[in-house]
Amino acid sequence: MSCLQVLILYFNVMKIFTALLLFFFAAGASHADIVVIGNLKNSLQSLNTVQVEDIFMGRTRSLPNGRFALPVCQSTLRPAFYEKLTTKPIEQINAYWAMLAFRGQISPPMEFPDDNSVLSIVNDNRDAIGYIDSRNVNNSVRVLLRLN
Amino acid sequence: MIKVKHHVVPFLLSLMPFVTEIAMADSKLSSWSLKGFGTLAATGTDSDKIGFYRDKSQTQDADSGWGITNDSQLGVQVDWKANDSLQATVQWIARDHAGNFFEQNLDWAFLRWSIQDDLDIRFGRLGVGVFSLSDYRNISYAYPWIRPPHEFYSTIPYYHIDGADITKKFSVDDGYLSIKIYGGYSYNQLPTQTSGVHNQQSPATGANISYEKGAWQARLGYTYATITSNPPIQDILTPINSPLFTQYWPDIKQLIPAMTMRGKEYHFGSIGLAYDDGIWLSQMEAAYIGSNTLWSPPRSSAYLSIGRRISTITLYSLLGIAKTFQNDIYVPNPLVPNPILLANQQQLSRILNNNGINEQSVSLGARWDFYDNMSLKAQWSHYWLGAHNGSQQWQQSVDNTTPNTVNVMSTGIDFVF
Repeated sequence: MSCLQVLILYFNVMKIFTALLLFFFAAGASHADIVVIGNLKNSLQSLNTVQVEDIFMGRTRSLPNGRFALPVCQSTLRPAFYEKLTTKPIEQINAYWAMLAFRGQISPPMEFPDDNSVLSIVNDNRDAIGYIDSRNVNNSVRVLLRLN
Repeated sequence: MIKVKHHVVPFLLSLMPFVTEIAMADSKLSSWSLKGFGTLAATGTDSDKIGFYRDKSQTQDADSGWGITNDSQLGVQVDWKANDSLQATVQWIARDHAGNFFEQNLDWAFLRWSIQDDLDIRFGRLGVGVFSLSDYRNISYAYPWIRPPHEFYSTIPYYHIDGADITKKFSVDDGYLSIKIYGGYSYNQLPTQTSGVHNQQSPATGANISYEKGAWQARLGYTYATITSNPPIQDILTPINSPLFTQYWPDIKQLIPAMTMRGKEYHFGSIGLAYDDGIWLSQMEAAYIGSNTLWSPPRSSAYLSIGRRISTITLYSLLGIAKTFQNDIYVPNPLVPNPILLANQQQLSRILNNNGINEQSVSLGARWDFYDNMSLKAQWSHYWLGAHNGSQQWQQSVDNTTPNTVNVMSTGIDFVF
């Protein structure tokens, strides 16, 4: 096999590799938006990204209306949620939360396995704030922020 | 006063049942949580004449035969939340620490009362925030290196105090300013050059102020401590007080006041700056530790680390320097050149003069976050060692062929659960 053939083969392999990567990224991007939801009885009508980031990064423990926040995470959406919110990948978020939690400062948000359990927790707790896939949102909760 | 430490944990545990009834009403939200962290690491040097300690609390050094006790540890933490404003936390770490394995490795056992969203008071056993990383030195998963910079963190004599701290947070110019004041009583068991551990008791108090905005974080800290105990120097005092020494080496008694620690003081002052934008990360700290005890003479130290993340891999470099300020302690000559007395003079001079930290290092390393909540690390460090290094940081053979540079290599896996 000549050098040229090797080079052509290499470029072809890279083309397929790039196409595959694009496919997976496109598939990832086709996910619906994530919505941050709150309880209907809470006076809070909306939140901005900085306010949501402060709560989910443990910088503040309260909602803008002064009540203690009860943030909850949806396990499968957690990496996408934090990446949209902070642009940081989940391994950096995990290391950051390990630092806060094991310094005894603040416990990380509790995690729930799916959208339904997050909906139920937010529905049952006046100060809960969670996030779910926008396609699964219903009238039992209030959408506080849409992340896309 | 020492009894205080033994009562903290049973006291906190006994409070729990009384407040259980006000635990959270929603059964889906558990009020208990168990989490943990750990590191399994191997560390070695390239010289069988130089052994390396991660910090001065350790009993086992790593030399060219390598060892896993230096950087390995396993910690568990139980958090219990009574309500929005009351939480209890207990953290225990299995690690190489001199003294009582259970008691010394209990780093946290406290009740946190959040009076307001931005005002916390904690009572009980608390990690001591002398420097930026002081209260999470063992959570290797939370920082890029295999261990906190040796020049800076190997000489702090505390892991925890029994007392209280109060933290107030302010929102300032899109950032958060946090002020913490703490005080308490520390009981730490530390290895010594003489026989036995030093059951070091010291009331300590301090404050730090930190500001976090975007990718930046700045910190100023100060801690003051007095020592109310003496190291186990009976092995030195017994011969000094013997008739032979009294008759032929009377001047040696002049050194006794300098060898005691009771009543001596520490001042820890530090400044730190950190940057992390998700891609680039950098951290530096500089400190001065003032003291008037020859067992831990005044010193200053600093480090600078710069790292770059490429996907799940972080490449980093680390420079460190530590310098001790201490004049040579002169051990007076005996009246007669008796071989026993001269041997004692030489040994005593070595013990009294080798308690500092004089080193510089450059390190290169990589961290790979290869799986959820797990990372693999490898680090190479090259140390230039000066004179008078304490045997609690380095174990150096006393002979002319001992090199003054050493490479320390480490690799390990960190995890949290």
